[in-house]
Amino acid sequence: MFSIWELILQQLVNGLILGSFYALVALGYSMVYGIIKLLNFAHGDIYMTGAFVCLSVFAALGNIVSGWTGIILSILVAMLISGILGYIVQRVAYRPLLGAPRLSLLITAIGVSLVIYNTVMVMTNSQPMFFTSGLDNAAGIRIGSILITYIQLVLLAMSGVFMLALNFFIGRTMAGKAMRAIALDQDTSRLMGINVNRVIGMTFVLGSSLAAVAGGMACVYYGNVQYNMGYTIGIKAFTSAVIGGIGSIPGAMLGGILLGLLEAMGTQFLGSQWKDVFAFGLLILILIFRPNGLLGKTEIERM
Amino acid sequence: MKKKNIRLIALLVALLMSVAFIASCSNSNNGSQTTGTTDADDSTETGDILIGVLSPTSGSEAYYGRDMLQSYQLAVEEINAAGGVLGRNLALYHADDACDPNTASQAAARIVTSDVDFVVGGYCSGATISALQQFYDEDLLMLISAANSTNITALGLEQTFMLNGTADHGAAMVAQLCEFLGSTKVALIHQGDAYTQNLSDTCERVLPESGLEIVTVEVMEQGSADVSAIVTAVLYSGADFVYWCGYHADGSNVIKQLRQGGYTGEIAVGDGSASVELIEACGPAGEGVYVTSPPYVGFTEGGEDFIADYNEMFGMEPGTYATLCYDTIYILKEAIEAAGTLETSAVRDAIAAIEYDGLSGFTKFTANRELAISNFIVIQIVDGEFVLISF
Repeated sequence: MFSIWELILQQLVNGLILGSFYALVALGYSMVYGIIKLLNFAHGDIYMTGAFVCLSVFAALGNIVSGWTGIILSILVAMLISGILGYIVQRVAYRPLLGAPRLSLLITAIGVSLVIYNTVMVMTNSQPMFFTSGLDNAAGIRIGSILITYIQLVLLAMSGVFMLALNFFIGRTMAGKAMRAIALDQDTSRLMGINVNRVIGMTFVLGSSLAAVAGGMACVYYGNVQYNMGYTIGIKAFTSAVIGGIGSIPGAMLGGILLGLLEAMGTQFLGSQWKDVFAFGLLILILIFRPNGLLGKTEIERM
Repeated sequence: MKKKNIRLIALLVALLMSVAFIASCSNSNNGSQTTGTTDADDSTETGDILIGVLSPTSGSEAYYGRDMLQSYQLAVEEINAAGGVLGRNLALYHADDACDPNTASQAAARIVTSDVDFVVGGYCSGATISALQQFYDEDLLMLISAANSTNITALGLEQTFMLNGTADHGAAMVAQLCEFLGSTKVALIHQGDAYTQNLSDTCERVLPESGLEIVTVEVMEQGSADVSAIVTAVLYSGADFVYWCGYHADGSNVIKQLRQGGYTGEIAVGDGSASVELIEACGPAGEGVYVTSPPYVGFTEGGEDFIADYNEMFGMEPGTYATLCYDTIYILKEAIEAAGTLETSAVRDAIAAIEYDGLSGFTKFTANRELAISNFIVIQIVDGEFVLISF
């Protein structure tokens, strides 16, 4: 039986898992916004595509490799394909509009989202697909009444590794430096000899691959893959990015995990029908006191 | 030059998107005449008797919608082969409601403008309710084969009949099942829409009368993948019986995560999840799950011939609502023959008085036009198959 503290700890674990999904997706939103000030609404659909690719590859690999090797391989392939998809979307739909007003870019993003969503809907005939990894989903570590499954541990570790790697990439490499430079001032960066288009393309590839990691993980963890799975998480991840301070990488991680935790606690203590009201109510409060998000920088408009 | 290029590409993208969008729309929304070749226009006087079918053939509930449509088709073909009704053939006009109230309202408009004589169908209660008013305005009679929210009864539409057992029948079955299993603490999970909330509310009202304690009521948003927080809340509540009131796609998620989270008590699901797809979706976690189900064809008398015919015609097994839909057409036939006319009020009176013994059991309506005697059964997933439980 649960004691109240075990209950809170278990809900913390639940929230952490959910939050790391949000965070991985939120990173893509935040990176793209940071660089070209675009809210990439197609990001949730790229997440969904990643989940489908992961499922298909795993099924295709079924006879050769299975278990964790198969899962890791499938997620890698999903990252690759989603990365390519993200690049194509950027090249075809966004790059020609980089000079156009922001609003045109935003509407294009909504259009791209609809195209991917509807294409997958038609391709899958709106049917959910089910993923069976053959792993024991309930096996795990038990501390008192608290249960942390091995799958949860692996997922947490994976999202942690990817987030740290991204942080290192942006903070410590030349390519990352170029991304930061473009975020500050595109024209000056171009004058400094940075290939702006290539860096923007790379940003989309990175963001989309991270969304595919989240999609692949969702596929393994939840087992259901459906054409509309990207919608809710897209909204939640966008919210996380805004809470953390859109454009800020650590902010996106923080925002995602915070939202996951708030939802889990809201479900436990106010009832599941109130969890969104609770989570979003608190988020509004945060935004009132910190309009740029928790880790967002105050923007100074230069004339 | 550069500006022109940009415009050209933008135009191209816009064009591509609209094509994809239109393609998807026409795929999911267009009605189609599925049986009989007669044009809808000349069906009013001497041609076919045209029956509108409202069911979801796209979206998460597409499996049920297709199964319903196919069962109607089977009955219609049988009746036509045997000489039709009042010397006229039956034909179906199907419109997809996608289990969504907005789409359903458009589908209802297409059915109404296609000059149908009667309407059958109705799977998702929310979608059905949104369509019913239009049928009522056109004085169309509707036989609802699957949707069973008491909210439909509450509309008080006098030419609408519900063939499926109601939420009250479902809740009564749950009470019996709990008694059979010796469970006392019930957790309810629904999805906040017309059908699932109605079932949950009814259980909340009815189960305590049988001495059962409702320890928690949870809501899972449709399509949200993560239910771990709900699972923990259920574990903490000390429930020994979880009743899932929602549909099967999300239901499999709930069942898997309940087991994954270490829940060892009993799990039962309502008629919205009663489908063989649930077994596949749950995998090993589904073993032992109980289903309060409509009269599933594998477990009703005289079902063997029906299964064989259905298999031959569609190359698949009939689904959960197949018997009810099949009976729906036959009840309509019997009522039209008793009335001797297609007049809505005459057929309505004939249906109100009908006592029909069919594949799904005995059908008779209350003054509220609901099914009078419960036809629910309880089945259980054992070794990857449904097994009838009797108590």
